[in-house]
Amino acid sequence: MRPSVTLEAAHTQRRSLVVWSAALAALIALYIAVWPSVEGSGSSFSKLIDDMPAAYKALFTNGGGVDFSTPAGYLNVELFSFMAPIVVLVYAIGTGASAIAGEEDRRTIDLLLVNTVSRGRVVIEKMAALIFGVAVLSSAMWLSLVIEGRVAGMDVPTADAAATVVHLGLLGIEFGALALFIGAATGRVGMSRAVPAAIAAGTYVINALGTMVGWLEPIRRFSPFFQYNGHDPMHTGLAPTAVAVSITSIVLLVAGAVWMFRRRDVGT
Amino acid sequence: MSVVRLSGLSKRYGSHPALIDVDLEIDQGEVFGYLGPNGAGKTTTIRILLGLLRPTAGRAEVFGLDAWSEAVAVHARTGYVPGEPGLWERLTGEATITYLARLRDDLTQVGRARVIAERLDLDLRRRVGALSKGNKQKLVVVQAFMGDPELVVLDEPTTGLDPLMQQEFHALVRETTARGGTVLLSSHLLDDVQRTADRVGIIRDGRLVAVERLEELRAKAVHRISARFDGPFDPAAFAAIPGVGDISVGHGSVELRVPEGSLDAAVKTLARQRIVDVEITETDLEEMFLAYYGASTHAA
Repeated sequence: MRPSVTLEAAHTQRRSLVVWSAALAALIALYIAVWPSVEGSGSSFSKLIDDMPAAYKALFTNGGGVDFSTPAGYLNVELFSFMAPIVVLVYAIGTGASAIAGEEDRRTIDLLLVNTVSRGRVVIEKMAALIFGVAVLSSAMWLSLVIEGRVAGMDVPTADAAATVVHLGLLGIEFGALALFIGAATGRVGMSRAVPAAIAAGTYVINALGTMVGWLEPIRRFSPFFQYNGHDPMHTGLAPTAVAVSITSIVLLVAGAVWMFRRRDVGT
Repeated sequence: MSVVRLSGLSKRYGSHPALIDVDLEIDQGEVFGYLGPNGAGKTTTIRILLGLLRPTAGRAEVFGLDAWSEAVAVHARTGYVPGEPGLWERLTGEATITYLARLRDDLTQVGRARVIAERLDLDLRRRVGALSKGNKQKLVVVQAFMGDPELVVLDEPTTGLDPLMQQEFHALVRETTARGGTVLLSSHLLDDVQRTADRVGIIRDGRLVAVERLEELRAKAVHRISARFDGPFDPAAFAAIPGVGDISVGHGSVELRVPEGSLDAAVKTLARQRIVDVEITETDLEEMFLAYYGASTHAA
């Protein structure tokens, strides 16, 4: 059967995906343009960061080490620790919240559901559209890195960058699925945005400070940000365990969303 | 055969009872007018029928299928105009009907939709967000009828439609029943349904208080007579008319109300005097209706 809900959702967001991708390309171009001066100042820049209080440093580098001597290290700190996750999460949480709760908020849910498409299929098709959107953004990010890096003569590790955007995409999809789950369970857009955003902030801090704060260390591994870059994918590539944990979380969230959405009143 | 069957249907929102123990059957080929003030439970009933709300107690069946657990099978045979027509503002009319036709896995509905849109004088090329309230309502009506459904459920469908379009709308309703379809038409105005409905049900504060055939309701319709006479007349003769009420006698004039069934007697009594002026008006069905069922109703 034709996935009409997915195609419609993808079609609706085609323009915004182009804009998001262009913004990412521009952001990455900026980082790449700055690289020569960072590389030039080399050790002094690293020293500046090294002199920061440890907790502060951990927070902005997502708990990772700081290494400004290579493009991979630079991109890891500047792009992938903070900016890129924010962009992907804003997109994914917004899309996940509007998937079900947004249709309810705009009162379009009646016309959407009173067809021969089941509620479960609506959830899954909306999820597919979200995955598609995140995949577009991740790919745009990777392509920008590779192409712009080549143009500027910056040595971006192609395979590790690909692994990093895959992990980043999974992070986005996870939080998007959480937003979709809350929307499917409650029908409330505000809550579907706010709760995942708060959890993202909390789990970010747990992962970032987990390297320094003793009691956070054991729970650090449960943070989606730990699955994302706890293993430093810009240097070590894809981590199958982390991928498996992310995918399992996503599957559980989507199954939960289907289950919740099938048993409640809509549009009340 | 009954297309819709509600038995002991109740719905609560928290502690607020929206629908209380409703029993109703709607037969195939019938137009059923569902009347009541805003907030009485019409929309709740309708949204239960479409599987959007789950009953707290009782059962709602459509085509013998459970409206909640077999909703998809019900939807395949049902058209629906929601009370609050939420449309995708960024789509054009054409894109909207194409999307809905795809969600029903039947693209042939698009052609039919174009024909209905033409009849309703609706331009499908325009973006929904740019349409007036009336045009949005037309689009919602188009999508409800475009699949030639066996059951059409309409929640306040004529809101925002001008009189000419209402005529076209009533024609669509009649065409549906002519091919054996069934229509459930809700409104807070009797006027909206009296042109097409075979039966009406009256809901108030969540309870279905009456179900009547429209013709029976009409027979109860009261006529107001006011007459002036040249010369003396006998007020007692008017008091003897069966069912008469509200007689007021003036100087050479009389005013009274009689039920439709007593019109003949009333006119013949009048004719015994020398008449200067006479006026007979049917009291609004609406008014009468409210007199019967709506006295204690506080419309929302």
